[in-house]
Amino acid sequence: MTVAGEPGPPPPRKRNPWRAGQGFWTVAVGVPAVFSVMRLWIEAGGELQTTLLLVANVGPINLMAALFTTATRLVTTGLVAVFALGAVLAVSTAGWPRRRPLFARWYAMSPPWFLAAVFAIALATWQILYLPLLVVAAVAVFQRELAAVEWPRWRWAATIAVALAGYGWLIAPTVLQAWRAGELFAVALLVVPPVLALGVSGPLPRWLVLPAAALAQPGIAVVLLIAAVPVVLTPVLPMTVTTVTTQAGVPEEVRGHVISTDDVNTVILQERGGVRYIDNDDIAARVLCPTSEELVRYRLRVRDFHVEDSLLGALGRRVRPMAPVSAVCRIPT
Amino acid sequence: MTETSGRPRWRPLLTATAVTLTMLLAGAAACGPKGNAPKTVDDLFKKTDVYGQPKIKIGVAEDQPLMGQIVNGRFEGFDIEIARYLAESLGFKGDSRIEWVPLQTEDRENALVSGQVHLVVASYSMTPDREKEIDFAGPYFATKQELLIRTTDRDKIRNLNDLAQPGRETCVVGGSTGERQFTDRALKVYPAATNRECLERLLSGKSHAYSTDETILAGYLSEHPKDLFIVDVPIGANERLGVGVSKQDPELRDLVAFFLRKSYDTGRTTSTSPWLAAYRRTLGPWLGDDTTQPPIDAPDLVDYDEKAPKP
Repeated sequence: MTVAGEPGPPPPRKRNPWRAGQGFWTVAVGVPAVFSVMRLWIEAGGELQTTLLLVANVGPINLMAALFTTATRLVTTGLVAVFALGAVLAVSTAGWPRRRPLFARWYAMSPPWFLAAVFAIALATWQILYLPLLVVAAVAVFQRELAAVEWPRWRWAATIAVALAGYGWLIAPTVLQAWRAGELFAVALLVVPPVLALGVSGPLPRWLVLPAAALAQPGIAVVLLIAAVPVVLTPVLPMTVTTVTTQAGVPEEVRGHVISTDDVNTVILQERGGVRYIDNDDIAARVLCPTSEELVRYRLRVRDFHVEDSLLGALGRRVRPMAPVSAVCRIPT
Repeated sequence: MTETSGRPRWRPLLTATAVTLTMLLAGAAACGPKGNAPKTVDDLFKKTDVYGQPKIKIGVAEDQPLMGQIVNGRFEGFDIEIARYLAESLGFKGDSRIEWVPLQTEDRENALVSGQVHLVVASYSMTPDREKEIDFAGPYFATKQELLIRTTDRDKIRNLNDLAQPGRETCVVGGSTGERQFTDRALKVYPAATNRECLERLLSGKSHAYSTDETILAGYLSEHPKDLFIVDVPIGANERLGVGVSKQDPELRDLVAFFLRKSYDTGRTTSTSPWLAAYRRTLGPWLGDDTTQPPIDAPDLVDYDEKAPKP
């Protein structure tokens, strides 16, 4: 309002250069926190009292560690997707007088060490089957750095030829195995990305930049939301089967997650819902059990590494090769 | 790589195509292909008759030393060890989860068909006639038919021709596969109801020989090492012992075959397996260490150890 009481022009909108950065860090910190609460809620089967029991017994450190273990893959996927598209949009909008798309700004302000760290974590935690897609993303994200390397054309050609030959040697048996098994999607995931990596760098046609940003940015968000559903459903506590002695003499198996144990009781959140307080004196045995989500979808291996293992997981299996599953885990309870 | 100067005019279109295809591929991967998933052990287990049962009922022999017999109130023997391994693999760990059902040789098919037992692990030879009535998972052992005689007759009975002499009688269990080998040769046989009856006839001198699988004979030899002797003569073809399963429960048959195959694979690569452990504890000292588990056809199923490094 002016002194004279007449409406004046609206104040200019502040264009804080850190605004996009604040948005990024809000998402980076806020999303895990929201995820953690959502996971506890789902884990409790939607029951308020059970949720409160979980909140009271699952420490924030444990919760964050469990979240890191199970959600690293999703978080790095999100970051890699955002930065890959952002890099393509940034290259395509270089020198634009107007405001660049959001992902391009996030990419532009991310230091190379951060990008490298995201890709390193993704390399270690992504399923081996999806690592070829990481190659495409890496070429897109680091195209500025690659362009700065002043190699003659023949040297680029020779390097790419050697890299493709090595890759072919690495995955040829797996591709053959997948082809024979009729797993065409797996074949596509292994074969197509390296070809796409050759063409993914560089600017988009000018007329395509704005539609691409308008479609791809929300598109990535939607796909990440779909991919987040299994992560939200993943339990926070390990699955166990507890054998409880009964007065009838026939032992009873209780399948569920141990919430807490004190001097008197063990509190178990049952798989099918409901909380059981079991007298410690009645507990005969307890075993750790896998869940059906851990069963594999593919029967393919890349040089003896299962394609659904991460590099980190596959290396871990070399340290502890046996993964005995107790027979009790198969009993329906 | 990415210098924009001097780029062909089609290069941005190539980039657009590559970006689009990458996003489509990544999107499809994120949603995850659901169809054409391989069969899992759990899938099959949920369809078996034993799923949800408090105990698994296993038909066994109770009078076959080293194979299946009761010692101090507890079942022991090679068949029993194999049965325990299969039961444990199916989720029935410990004898409190197993109902042992002693069966006579001639009752085994009926017990499976009537649903009295889920499995029969009792020196059960896989024969075409039996396969018309029941299913087999196996073989888990390849044995041959031999002769058991008294040690005092070692010089008198050296082959089947010696049994053709008048007055000489061979005891066999009625309904067993060994009986026909003697009737076809017109040799005098006594069809006993049980293996133990044959042993008693042999020890008492009523029968001059007792013929059945070497596994059963080895058991009786272990009980009377000074009084009895096994004559190593070829009688018929090798017997293949299998685990009997009802034809109404093909999923259980597949699972049993899968777990036997798992033991076979483990034994080949690590020289230790549930089968080898059972053999070394029971038959091994009497039949020698050169016997191994025979190969077995089994469905390829996915279990929780699928990602583990292949031995």
